[in-house]
Amino acid sequence: MQMKTFKGGVHPADGKEYARNIPYRTYLPKGGEMVFPLNQHIGKPAKPVVQKGDMVLAGQIIAEADGFVSANIASSCSGKVKAVENRRTVAGTSVPCIVIENDGAYTLAEGVGKDTEEASLSCQEILDRVKAAGIIGLGGAGFPTHVKLAPKNGDEIRYVIANGAECEPYITCDDQLMRTQGEEIVKGLKLMLRLFPNAEGVVIIEKNKPEAIRAMEEACGKEEKIRVQAVHTKYPQGGERSVISVVAGKHLKLGMLPADVGCVVDNVATVRAIYRAVCKSEPVMERGFTVSGDGVAQPCNLIVPIGTSFSEVLEEAGGIREGVTPQKFICGGPMMGLALSSLDVPICKNNNALTVLSLDEAALGEKQKTACLRCGRCNQVCPLGLTPQMMALAAERGDYSRYEKKLYGLECIACGSCTYICPAKRPLMQLFKQAKAEIMAAKRK
Amino acid sequence: MSKLYNVSSSPHARSSLTTGKVMYQVIFALLPTACFGIYRYGMPAFWVIGVSVLSAVLTEGAFDYITKRPKTWMDGSAVVTGLLLALCLPAQVPLYVPFAGSFFAILFVKCFFGGLGHNFMNPALAGRCFLLISFSGVVADFSVDGVSAATPLETLASGGAVDAVEVFIGYGNGVIGGSILALCLGGLYLWAVDAITFEIPVAVIVSFSAFIALFGGQGFDPEFILVHLAAGGVMMGAIFMATDPVTSPVTSTGQLVFGILIGLLCGVFRVFGSAPDSASYAIIIANMAVPLIDEISVPLPYGLRKQTEKKKGIPRPALILCAITLLAGVCLSSVYEMTKDRIAEQKQAAKAASYQEVCPGAVEFAGDGRADAAIEALEGGVYGTDFGKAYINEAVVGKDASGNIVGYVISAGSGDGFEGMITLSVGISPDGTINGIAFTELNETAGMGMLCGEEAFQGQFAGVKAEHFILNKSGTSSGDNEIDTVSGASTSSQAVVNAVNAALDFFAANFQ
Repeated sequence: MQMKTFKGGVHPADGKEYARNIPYRTYLPKGGEMVFPLNQHIGKPAKPVVQKGDMVLAGQIIAEADGFVSANIASSCSGKVKAVENRRTVAGTSVPCIVIENDGAYTLAEGVGKDTEEASLSCQEILDRVKAAGIIGLGGAGFPTHVKLAPKNGDEIRYVIANGAECEPYITCDDQLMRTQGEEIVKGLKLMLRLFPNAEGVVIIEKNKPEAIRAMEEACGKEEKIRVQAVHTKYPQGGERSVISVVAGKHLKLGMLPADVGCVVDNVATVRAIYRAVCKSEPVMERGFTVSGDGVAQPCNLIVPIGTSFSEVLEEAGGIREGVTPQKFICGGPMMGLALSSLDVPICKNNNALTVLSLDEAALGEKQKTACLRCGRCNQVCPLGLTPQMMALAAERGDYSRYEKKLYGLECIACGSCTYICPAKRPLMQLFKQAKAEIMAAKRK
Repeated sequence: MSKLYNVSSSPHARSSLTTGKVMYQVIFALLPTACFGIYRYGMPAFWVIGVSVLSAVLTEGAFDYITKRPKTWMDGSAVVTGLLLALCLPAQVPLYVPFAGSFFAILFVKCFFGGLGHNFMNPALAGRCFLLISFSGVVADFSVDGVSAATPLETLASGGAVDAVEVFIGYGNGVIGGSILALCLGGLYLWAVDAITFEIPVAVIVSFSAFIALFGGQGFDPEFILVHLAAGGVMMGAIFMATDPVTSPVTSTGQLVFGILIGLLCGVFRVFGSAPDSASYAIIIANMAVPLIDEISVPLPYGLRKQTEKKKGIPRPALILCAITLLAGVCLSSVYEMTKDRIAEQKQAAKAASYQEVCPGAVEFAGDGRADAAIEALEGGVYGTDFGKAYINEAVVGKDASGNIVGYVISAGSGDGFEGMITLSVGISPDGTINGIAFTELNETAGMGMLCGEEAFQGQFAGVKAEHFILNKSGTSSGDNEIDTVSGASTSSQAVVNAVNAALDFFAANFQ
């Protein structure tokens, strides 16, 4: 097996041991509110198609895509629409949400789960079904999948990549998915390959998941156009650009889409969702979700309905570990996740984990901060070949034109490797996010 | 609303590496070198290291205290500076030297520029250069147990043979941190823990070796190159000083350019300059070029590089820099080549004139079998044990027109002066009385050491018959064999006296 990887990267403690061998179990809240933010995806928020007081069924579309780059939202439960109002979400901001009072019955809407023979479908039908199901990038980015699957140059796509690298520490839901649902992932990949006749399918898995590699290789069986590619365990191996550089040997730059270099990259969970949507007529109602970290009593991998609150899944995982005072609750993993100020926020389609940590290393780093030593470690680990050290200086001075033009600061994918490695504990990522926000704001004017 | 939790920008994980740890890695890497130095030179080396480190740490502590800045004196960086400086000094320097050096390095170069991370040149090197300028006599004195010994470079320069293996292990005479083996071990460790990149040391060593091979005058001679690498702190500089993160470029390309610049500068200074400490100056000059190098070496992000191009050539700035330096080297060496013969001619003429001057009446100077054999046996090394770094270059017999011996001339030299070699011709009459001395090479400080060439000093030797001379520093000489020092230039005066004494000793041993 040929191992490949990208340039740069770091090796943070991966924390996968907490939950990697815990099989999925389904958690269905017995009642209470389910909250569906209208902007779970990248693009325009969806338009609600239900009103307060309406009765909805599980799998029923409650908000429709508004325009091409947008996505449908399906209800994950049956019950009564309680409100369409602003609620707080993981980002800490208040956005319009549909709130449904869950009746706990999970009665399915008509047609959901109906088997369809995929051979009977045309490419356009496949795309329509993906769009109808409201599939977005389930790995975290949340880009509407039907847009990704319809590039202008469909014939030039050489690789369709199912991304199972899962390099973010602590998160294990894709690992478990590959171990248990390998066949459905392969079927999803085959559906995608029908859209791209000249492409081959590649499943990318980091080598720290040998069980998943084996399971996926078995599932691929004798498929000619699909192979499993094991890659080195290194963060951010699962980043879109890292994956493409490994598979296609090409690098993206700002403003380029994977399709521009002949690639379509989707998370393995997304690939499986495509299969479920096309062959089972099932919209995105639930997802695999890891609750992990040293602050959780029983770290686990759950199948949870979209819209469940974080506090409920933490309960389901046994709550906070006894004797531990958690310092940080993170939606996602410690490298790119969002720190939560409150757990009373709903799980969206693209949220894959809750990580509870007893030690806030970011706060500790703030105490150990010194002047920059110019050691250059940040430059070495940057997976894009940027110079974080110089970018930080420019950002600190507010010299945004240098940041953007001379140092190519906007290329940054916010993977956080530089901030992780910095011995002087400089808050690099924070500076970059701020700089990017300022530059973008100035451009919009 | 329920309780709010900690929030911050991602990432929420930090590596365990801290600034302090980075410093302790460097200290750890320097330990083999320091231990070998102490093993080789004994307690004096230990005291030099101790005083230097203590002075560095205390200076920083005092500065933090007085200026009410955050206490940074225990972060290990001051220890690194003190240690590096000590390892660049000979073991038997008076202890005020490492104290003053560390004080200068920390206060003027580090603290005044804003402390750790803000100094624009390596503090330890700046401290060393400060010492070289202020205390050049003691800092460049490599005698062991009071006995003068030539450094491998000096031996090589005067035509002697050097054991490369000994030099590699660290048995050559020189600074405390002279073991290439130990330095390399430390460097490998730092490389293994990612504390330094290979670019700088490799670029320095390769470009310096290439320069020495091209312009050193001996072609590609591994032994010769090794001795040059070992001497004057080139290895120490390449592995520990040039790689100081604060004062080196941050990008890989920049580091290559920086390393090549140091290697070539070092070579230019070594081959064409007079200071053996070429590495210190080369690195300090390169330090000052770092902001510029950083600016021109911002790499293109991977995504913006030409995707089809697989060529991975040497970066352009490195090539340009190489070309410029090579050109300068060629110019210098061709000027040197063109003038070499002229200079040799002039030296020869000066020598002949000086012989005539100190041995009047002679029309012909001839070699002497016994004396020639004795000089041959010295192999260009230091003469005797009581004359400092004295050398005997030539001994001739002066005869008049009818072949009678009218006197002897011995060309002697001393390396104990302030600025390189002092050579002089000593004329001695057959009965042992000194006819006079004449300088053939004297480059001491103008107005001070240079006054040795004045009659007032030089004339004291003439007409005296003595076994050896004593330098009287109080200016109240009583005996014939006491020489009044040139005021303010006792080092130069002592060097002259040493050379004359060596000549007398040689005369007594070989002509009487």
